[in-house]
Amino acid sequence: MYKHLSAIRKECLILLRDKAGLAMLFIMPMALIIISSLMQEFAWNSLSKDPTVQILFVNNDKDSLGYNIEKGLRKSGSFEVIDSLNKVPVTEMTAKAAVAKGDYLIAIVVPEGTTKAIRANVRIMVARTLSGFGMINPLVLNSIVAKDSIDISIYFDVTVKNAFKNALVSSIKANNYKIETEMVFRTFNKEIAKQFPMFHPPEVSYHEVLQFKESFPSYRKKELIPTTAQHNIPAWTIFAMFFIVIPLTQSLIKEREEGSLFRLLTMPVSYMNLIMAKVVVYIVVCMLQTLFMLLAGMLLLPLFGIPRLQLGDDFIALTLISLVVSMASVGYGLMIGTVAKTHQQAAAFGSISVIILAAMGGLWVPIYLMPPFMRTFSTYSPMNWAITGYYNIFLRGGSLIHILPEVTRLLLFFLGTVLVTGIYRKFKSPIPD
Amino acid sequence: MADLPIIEIKKLSKIYKGSNEPAVSCISLDIFPGEIFGLLGPNGAGKTTTISILCGLFPPSEGDIFIDGLDIRSNPEKIKQIIGVVPQDLALYPTLSARENLTFYGNMYGIRGKELRDRIDGFLQVFGLEKFARRQVGRYSGGMKRRVNLIAGLLHHPKIIFLDEPTVGIDVQSRIMILNYLKDLNKAGTTIIYTSHYMEEAENLCSRVAIMDQGKIISIGKPADLLATNPEFKNLEHVFIHLTGKDLRD
Repeated sequence: MYKHLSAIRKECLILLRDKAGLAMLFIMPMALIIISSLMQEFAWNSLSKDPTVQILFVNNDKDSLGYNIEKGLRKSGSFEVIDSLNKVPVTEMTAKAAVAKGDYLIAIVVPEGTTKAIRANVRIMVARTLSGFGMINPLVLNSIVAKDSIDISIYFDVTVKNAFKNALVSSIKANNYKIETEMVFRTFNKEIAKQFPMFHPPEVSYHEVLQFKESFPSYRKKELIPTTAQHNIPAWTIFAMFFIVIPLTQSLIKEREEGSLFRLLTMPVSYMNLIMAKVVVYIVVCMLQTLFMLLAGMLLLPLFGIPRLQLGDDFIALTLISLVVSMASVGYGLMIGTVAKTHQQAAAFGSISVIILAAMGGLWVPIYLMPPFMRTFSTYSPMNWAITGYYNIFLRGGSLIHILPEVTRLLLFFLGTVLVTGIYRKFKSPIPD
Repeated sequence: MADLPIIEIKKLSKIYKGSNEPAVSCISLDIFPGEIFGLLGPNGAGKTTTISILCGLFPPSEGDIFIDGLDIRSNPEKIKQIIGVVPQDLALYPTLSARENLTFYGNMYGIRGKELRDRIDGFLQVFGLEKFARRQVGRYSGGMKRRVNLIAGLLHHPKIIFLDEPTVGIDVQSRIMILNYLKDLNKAGTTIIYTSHYMEEAENLCSRVAIMDQGKIISIGKPADLLATNPEFKNLEHVFIHLTGKDLRD
């Protein structure tokens, strides 16, 4: 036992003396958590009070719809509407050129006669409706010239990502839909008033009757509204934990290359005993990393205006899932560090494979957005089991019983990596032939 | 010299995976208690492979080895208790102090507590390192590192000690200190198996030498006997060049 304790002590001393390594292990993951959470919060949520996206707006309509679209964009708070460049009104051509150059991300051009076209369409609707009652001469219909559709052009910079583009277009469409509907109602009233001069319809304002009530059912009685912190911190924590692969593989390979392992193998101590000392120390490091990252979510992120991370209701479950995720990541590092022959091999394979496992596991893109075959793949990523476990605790308010499947999988993964390491070492000496 | 060999090597061969040429080819050798036995040869001769097999790092492809009467295949752990190894590479943790390195290696041999502390203190004093015991080994000079490297293989008072080029790249003072200590250790009864490229050092230190080339022992005997059988050469280095040739080795 004391041989094991001595090996643990040696690993701790080596880690503590490596100041740059310690910074990598603890400060970098915390910086990752803070920066990525801030980015996501500011990019996608309403935290940003100042308009951040500049939109070039060309109103060639110069009528109700054009003005209302502009008003709607300004009112949304998400956009800074720009209608002139260098004190010269923006035209479709200058807007398109500015977007093509990359000076602006988006330009919207409302063509001339858009409002008129909508009105014409409404007049046709009114006329058709009233002609059914015999209240209007059907020949009137022929006198109204209408277009089937009107194109509002939206120009995007080529660097605009699809997700952002889709979100933006949806937001503009939703806004325009309301404006268009209100306009239809008003035009309808006006047309009816034209047909029946004695009729004085009241001013209508469109009111959306259909409302969507969002709620988040979970294991808890009290509903918790998920925040960016709840979603992102577990994901980035797992990602950082798996990056323990890099220092662990470096430690394993360094010991081999510097000759210490050569000496140790001539001593009456088993290789697995020495390896297990590393495993214990790096699991503790991983647990500490997790603690620091969760504390960053609880104490540091609120300082930047991001909601405080809620840890869920079951501390034992949280400790257990953190422990098995630490074991899985250390086991993975152990396996790579054993099989890799050089620092370069271990660093390249280790980091790239962690990124692949993270992508596969749904740490960056939610699994429900993945195509079906990727969803199947993702169920084999230990990071997917890890994130599911954390979400069950943080978001669903789950307890020990709700994370048991993930805990079992991660534990088996750890045992599998240790088994592979042991078998590999049984047949392949760690000392280069 | 006792009658029974402390190390018995019978028809030892080693072929590494992926190689057609044997690194060691059917060598037989007896080393007796109290000897300082020099294993000499150019690069790639098979010295390090032979020592690695004797230390239990690789299994032999063929042949039998008995150390202190124990079969290396069936008693590796018992053999590891009685041998000490001083590898050619400085097998030390550079960010740990000499005392921390030696405490760790001592623990691995099953020594601990006051006994270990006393042994470490004793060795550090003998090798003139007591003042630097708390300094990180990475900040030591080459000679100081070599001395700590040697102590780490001696802490458990082994019956047999394997030294793979223990004086390579160090100053004359450190070299003399190490060689004198090895002579004293040998006088106290420790068997020493030693490899070196310094022929003069081997000639003065070793009671017997084996010259290896291309995995085979091409000559064995006392340095004086080797010189006597090759009277045209003035020293062991000339005999060595005569036997192994002047071609460069990889």
